[in-house]
Amino acid sequence: MSPFELLTPETVDEAIAELRSADDPRPAVLAGGTDLLLDIEDGRTAPARVVSLRRLPWRTLDWVGGALSVGSTLSLRSLEADPAVRERLPGLWEAIHAVGSVALRHRATLGGNLGRAAPASDLVPMLLALDAEVELVGPGGVRRTPVDAFVRASRRTALGPAELIRGIRIPEARPSAYRWQRVRPANDISQIAVAAAFSPSRRSWSVAVGGMPPRPILLPEVARDLGPGAPNEPARRSACARASREVAIAADQRASEEYRRRLIGTLLDRAIRAVTIAGEGRP
Amino acid sequence: MTPSPTGLRVNGRDAALDGMPDDERLLDTLRWRLGLKGTKEGCRTGDCGACTVLVDGASTLSCLTLTREVEGGEITTIDGDSEDPELRRVRAAFADAGALQCGYCTPGFVLALAGLLKERGRAAPVEELLDGLQGNLCRCTGYAAIVRAVALAREAPT
Ligand SMILES: Cc1cc2nc3c(=O)[nH]c(=O)nc-3n(C[C@H](O)[C@H](O)[C@H](O)COP(=O)(O)OP(=O)(O)OC[C@H]3O[C@@H](n4cnc5c(N)ncnc54)[C@H](O)[C@@H]3O)c2cc1C
Ligand code: FES
Ligand code: FES
Repeated sequence: MSPFELLTPETVDEAIAELRSADDPRPAVLAGGTDLLLDIEDGRTAPARVVSLRRLPWRTLDWVGGALSVGSTLSLRSLEADPAVRERLPGLWEAIHAVGSVALRHRATLGGNLGRAAPASDLVPMLLALDAEVELVGPGGVRRTPVDAFVRASRRTALGPAELIRGIRIPEARPSAYRWQRVRPANDISQIAVAAAFSPSRRSWSVAVGGMPPRPILLPEVARDLGPGAPNEPARRSACARASREVAIAADQRASEEYRRRLIGTLLDRAIRAVTIAGEGRP
Repeated sequence: MTPSPTGLRVNGRDAALDGMPDDERLLDTLRWRLGLKGTKEGCRTGDCGACTVLVDGASTLSCLTLTREVEGGEITTIDGDSEDPELRRVRAAFADAGALQCGYCTPGFVLALAGLLKERGRAAPVEELLDGLQGNLCRCTGYAAIVRAVALAREAPT
C-alpha cells in the first residue's frame, strides 16, 4: 500500500480546497518532485496525501513589456530553452543551467525551488538580484511578495496555509551573471555562489550570495561600491574586498568559513566581469 | 495511437498499471512491474543518471518520478529493438566506440544522449552534448570512450 494518496486536481480552486483539509501533517504539494520525493523517502515528511500540480495551467512563460512571467510548474529545462531568457537575463540562464542535470531539469520547477527554499538554491540568489516577485494564490485570492520576503530559511517560506506559488515575475531584462563553486559540476550543490545584475532603469547593481545557511541574501553595500555603471578596477576591487571582509559567512559540512570567504571575492569579481552593460563595454 | 490515460506506453506497447500504488517510482514500474531490467538503479537519489529514460522524448530520472505523474505518457527505455532513430544511432555509436566496460551506466548514458539529440539536433556543438551528459556517472571507462561515442553519434550518417 502506498504511504500516501496522490491527488491530481484539475483546477486551482480544487487544489486549494484539498490543501485546506485538516490533515496532520498537512497534505504535501508536488511539482517536479525532485525535492519532495527525497524528503518523503528520507522520512523528513510523511504526508497522507500529496497534491500534484501537474494538471494546473501554470506551465507558462510570457514576456510582457520587458518583464518576464514564469508559471511555477514550467520545467527549468523549458525556461532554459527559451532564447529570450538567455539573451535578456543571462544570469538567470546560467543559474538554471547550474541546477542538477538535464534530466533533473526536465522535471524540476522554479516553484519547487522556491518552495524548498534551500540555503544552497542556485535560483534564489539570482532571483534576488533580479528583484523577482513571487505570485501566490490561496483561499484569500492572489498576492505578490518579493523573493527576499518570501524565502526565510531552509524549508521555511512566507507561504500561508493552503497557498500555492502560481508564478514568478521578473520586472526587467538585466545584464547579469551567476558564478558558483562546487565539487562536481553537475548534480552537486554549490558551496558558495554569487549572482550579480545591473538594472538599466535604476542604473545600479544588485549582488546576492548563496550556497550557505541560513538562506541566500542580498549584499546592498557591496552593490553600492560598484557605482552606477560598469565599475572601474578600483571600484570592483573594493566591492570584492568588502564582500570577503564583511559578509556574514557560515561554515557547514560542505565548506569552511575561510574557504567561502576567499571564494566570495573571486566569484564576485568573475561575475561582474562577465556582465556586459549596453553602451559601456565590459567592466 | 493515443495512450490510455490510466496506462503508459512503453517502447511502443501499452502497459497497464492496474492496482499500482500511488507512490510507485517509474524506475520500479519499469523494472519490477513490467520486467524491463535495462533501466538501472544506481543511487535512487538523482545523482548518477543510471535510471535515465525518455518521457515523451525528454530525458527523465525514473528514480525521482512517480509513475502516476507521467500517466498517459510515452516512455522509451533501452529494452528491446527500438525504431527510434536517435536511440538506434546512439546505441550503435556506443558499441562502435567500445564506450562501456561493466555496462551498468550505459543505458542511462544512451538515453540521455538520445534525448539531447532529439532536443537539440545533431548540429548541436559536441561541447553542449558533453555538458548535457554531466549528470551521468561512469565508474569504469574513464569517460574517454564515451566522449568518442558522443562524437560518433553526431557524425555517423543516418
Ligand atoms: C540530484 C539533485 C541535484 C540537485 N541539484 C540542485 C542544484 O544544483 N541547484 C538547486 O538549486 N537545486 C538542486 N536540486 C534541488 C531541486 O531539484 C530543485 O530545488 C528543484 O527546483 C525543485 O523543483 P521541483 O519542482 O522538483 O520541487 P518539488 O520537489 O515538487 O517541491 C519542492 C518543495 O516545494 C513545494 N512546492 C513545489 N511547488 C510548489 C508550488 N507551486 N506552490 C507551493 N509549494 C510548492 C513542495 O511542496 C516541496 O516542499 C537538486 C536535487 C537533486 C535530487
Ligand atoms: S538511480 Fe536515478 S539518478 Fe541514480
Ligand atoms: S561501464 Fe561500468 S559504470 Fe560505466
